[in-house]
This record gives sequence, C-alpha cells and structure tokens, in this order.
Amino acid sequence: MPRLYPTVRLLIVTWLTLVILGAFSFGGTWLNIPKISLLEHTARNLYFHVPMWFTMMGITALSAFHALRVLKTRSAISDIRSRSAALVAVVFGLLGLVTGSVWAHYTWYEGTNIWWNFDPKQTMAAAQVLIYGAYFALRGALDDPEKRARISAVYNLFAFVTVPFLLYVLPRQMESLHPGAEGNPAFSEITHPMMRLVFYPAVIGFIGLAWVLYTQRVRIAAALARLDAFEDNNLN
Amino acid sequence: MNSGLKVWLNGALAVLRKDLLLELRSRYALNTLAIFVLSTLLLVVLAAGTTTLNARLHSALLWIVILFAAALGMGRFFVAEQERGTVLLLRLHARPSMVYVGKLCFGTLLMLSVNFAAAIAFVVLLGIEVIKPGLFFLSLVLGTLGLTGATTLLSAIIARTSRSGPLLPMLLFPLLLPLLLSAVRATENSLLSSSLTGAPWENSLGSLVAMGSFAGVVITASVLLFDYVWED
Repeated sequence: MPRLYPTVRLLIVTWLTLVILGAFSFGGTWLNIPKISLLEHTARNLYFHVPMWFTMMGITALSAFHALRVLKTRSAISDIRSRSAALVAVVFGLLGLVTGSVWAHYTWYEGTNIWWNFDPKQTMAAAQVLIYGAYFALRGALDDPEKRARISAVYNLFAFVTVPFLLYVLPRQMESLHPGAEGNPAFSEITHPMMRLVFYPAVIGFIGLAWVLYTQRVRIAAALARLDAFEDNNLN
Repeated sequence: MNSGLKVWLNGALAVLRKDLLLELRSRYALNTLAIFVLSTLLLVVLAAGTTTLNARLHSALLWIVILFAAALGMGRFFVAEQERGTVLLLRLHARPSMVYVGKLCFGTLLMLSVNFAAAIAFVVLLGIEVIKPGLFFLSLVLGTLGLTGATTLLSAIIARTSRSGPLLPMLLFPLLLPLLLSAVRATENSLLSSSLTGAPWENSLGSLVAMGSFAGVVITASVLLFDYVWED
C-alpha cells in the first residue's frame, strides 16, 4: 500500500482545484450566482469562509480526542496527532477570521473603516486561536517529552470543556452578523440551489485539505521520532 | 458517615489548614494582593479623572482588576510547594483530589476576601451606587468560584514547567472569556437603576446560571485532570 497515500492526496488537491475554479466561474448561466443587493459577488466567499469554520471545529475536536488518548494510553503518537491537529486548527481559524473579516468589511461595513466586529462566532474563533497559542507556548516551557505530552493534553482538554460556554454565553452578549441568528434569515432560506453545487464540494475539499495537512505533519513528526530513536540506538 | 469519605474530607481539610496556617504566619499573598488591588484601583480612578463612567465600564474595570489579581495571587500556589521542597511529602500523605480540593478551598477563601475588599474599595473610590447589593455580591461570589476553579488547575500546570514566568495569565485569560462576559453582565445589571432596565434579577438570570455551571464544569474537569498533572 505504499502508493495509496500520494494518490489520495493528489485526488484531494485536484478536487480542491476544481472547487476553486467553480467558485470563480463567471461564464453564462452555468454556476453563475444570483445577484443579491449588498452581497453581489462577495457571496462567493461562502465557498471559502464557511468550510474553513467547519474544518476548524472538526479539527479542534480531533485535537481534544487525541489529548484524551494521550492521558489514557501515554502513547507518543497520540501526542503528535494532538499537536498537529492543533496547528492545523490554528491555520484554519486564522483563515476563517481573515475571510470573515474581509467579507463583513465589504458588505455590512462598506464605506466604513471597520474591520473587526464583536460577532459571537468571530470572538469564539479568536478565543480558540488564542487558546492554541497558549497551548504551544506551554509546550515550549516543558522540556521532558513525556511530561510535555501529558501536561499539554490536560490543558487541551481543560480548554475544550469551556467551549460550550462560549457557545451559550456569546450569542446572549453580542449581536450576530451570521445567518440563523436573531432577525437574520437561516442559511437554507438565502442560499440559491446553484450555490450549493459548489458549496458542498467545497466543504468536502477543505476538510480533505485539512486531512492532508494534518496527516503530513503527523507522518513527518513520526518519521523524525523514528530517526531519533534509530540514531540513539546506533550511538550508544 | 462513610469512613472512606471521612478520610478524604480530613485529608482535604488538612491541606486547607496547612495553607491557611502558612498564610496567616507570613501574610505574603494577602498583603501583596491587597496592595496590588488598591494601587490598581487608584490608577483606574486617577486615569478616569472626573469623567463619569457608565455601569458597563464600571463592572468591566472591576472584573479586569479581579482577573489580574487572581493571576498574580494564585500563580504561586504550587510553585511555592516546589520551592519549599514539600511536593514529595504532600504526594506521600494525600491523594491528588485531596490536594486539589484543599488548595481550591484556600484559593477561594483568599480570593473571596481580596475580591470583597476590592469591590468595596471600588464602590467607595469611584462613588458608585449599588442598586441591587444582593445581585452584586452573588455575581462576585459565583465569579470568584469559577475563577479559582480554573486557576487552581492551571497554577498546578505552571508549577511543572521550567519557565513559569508570565505563563499563567496567558493560559488563563482565553479560557475565562465566557465567565468574564457573564460576570460583567450580571454586575452591570446590579449597578443599573431598575427604571432603565426593568427587572435586574430576571435579566441576569442567564448570566448567573452560566457562571454557576461554569464553576461546576471547571471544578469537575479539574478534579478529573488533576491526577495527571500532580503525579509523575
């Protein structure tokens, strides 16, 4: 099975390329999105911003799951998985924040100087990115690998149990710009069927991209760990 | 009473008694925190000048001072054990959950006294009128519980690191976002006159429930996770 991984990776990259082509196609009626006032062509951001948010949530849960595995089994590979998932979550969190901020600036805040707003989902993504920043700083302050794996897994899980409170508290504190919130139409009501033709493949494509980034980091880290062990054996 | 529970309670109480005794001897944490809180409040008062701030800003400033006081005061809980070389002794004599609960109770007592003092000084210095004292104190107590619940585990975590310096506020603050928002909202409602908002208690019910359940979840998770931090 040595050639399976590169093949799947190539498939995902091709899939994502097609999604991006579909997202930017302007020709004729095929894949041409309906014009809605205020949104206009910024609606195409739906194909990027929303899948990034989904991906970040999924990969955060994956990181917490492997943190739990670290505490249960103390295996080094679970620590690598948990850490790699956290890194990919930071990347997608930042991308989600940037795409969301740009989108809001050119629709809701067109003609103003506002880039940052206090939307619940945005605040939550920012908090999650900060938590992972703290997680990596904590890892940097722990020298012994076994202790680093255990202590950082504790912090990862501890942070994960507070996320539901963000989901409960934030919408009661702040007005949302997102669909489905109070006064805003739900996602299914405002999305033209034509857009779903690209949107659903885009969700699959970005989750696939996250999977490629995540597995590559895990494979590199596992290979480095094996190399270290090999060198240690040969030197001693 | 079940004898196992009795042993456990005695152990937790012994840890609490030990910490209280040490604190009463030196009064290090209490003195540092009192001076920190008072000087920060003085800075706030001077910086605000004669401007009248609204209720939202008042409660936000109060909670930020409390947050920093907690990060400063509770960061040394487990580092001090390490410095005195008493960690091994504690590990031998008490189970991890006893140590956690003992430290949590000590931290809660310490932070409650500091926060009450801070709140009273804050109200007096800024000339705030507390419309609903009951709601004000309840939000202070629930907020302090959630704060100490989260900080105790994290201060045990930083005691295991080689460079503990400013690590605690960085680990703590992003986690406390939901607690801080609810606490600020509840305290704000207690400062607003009811002619403006209607019913302050009804309006802050959601925030109070969120703070109470935050404290419950954080303390439960800490008891479950503390073993992995405490033991080698």
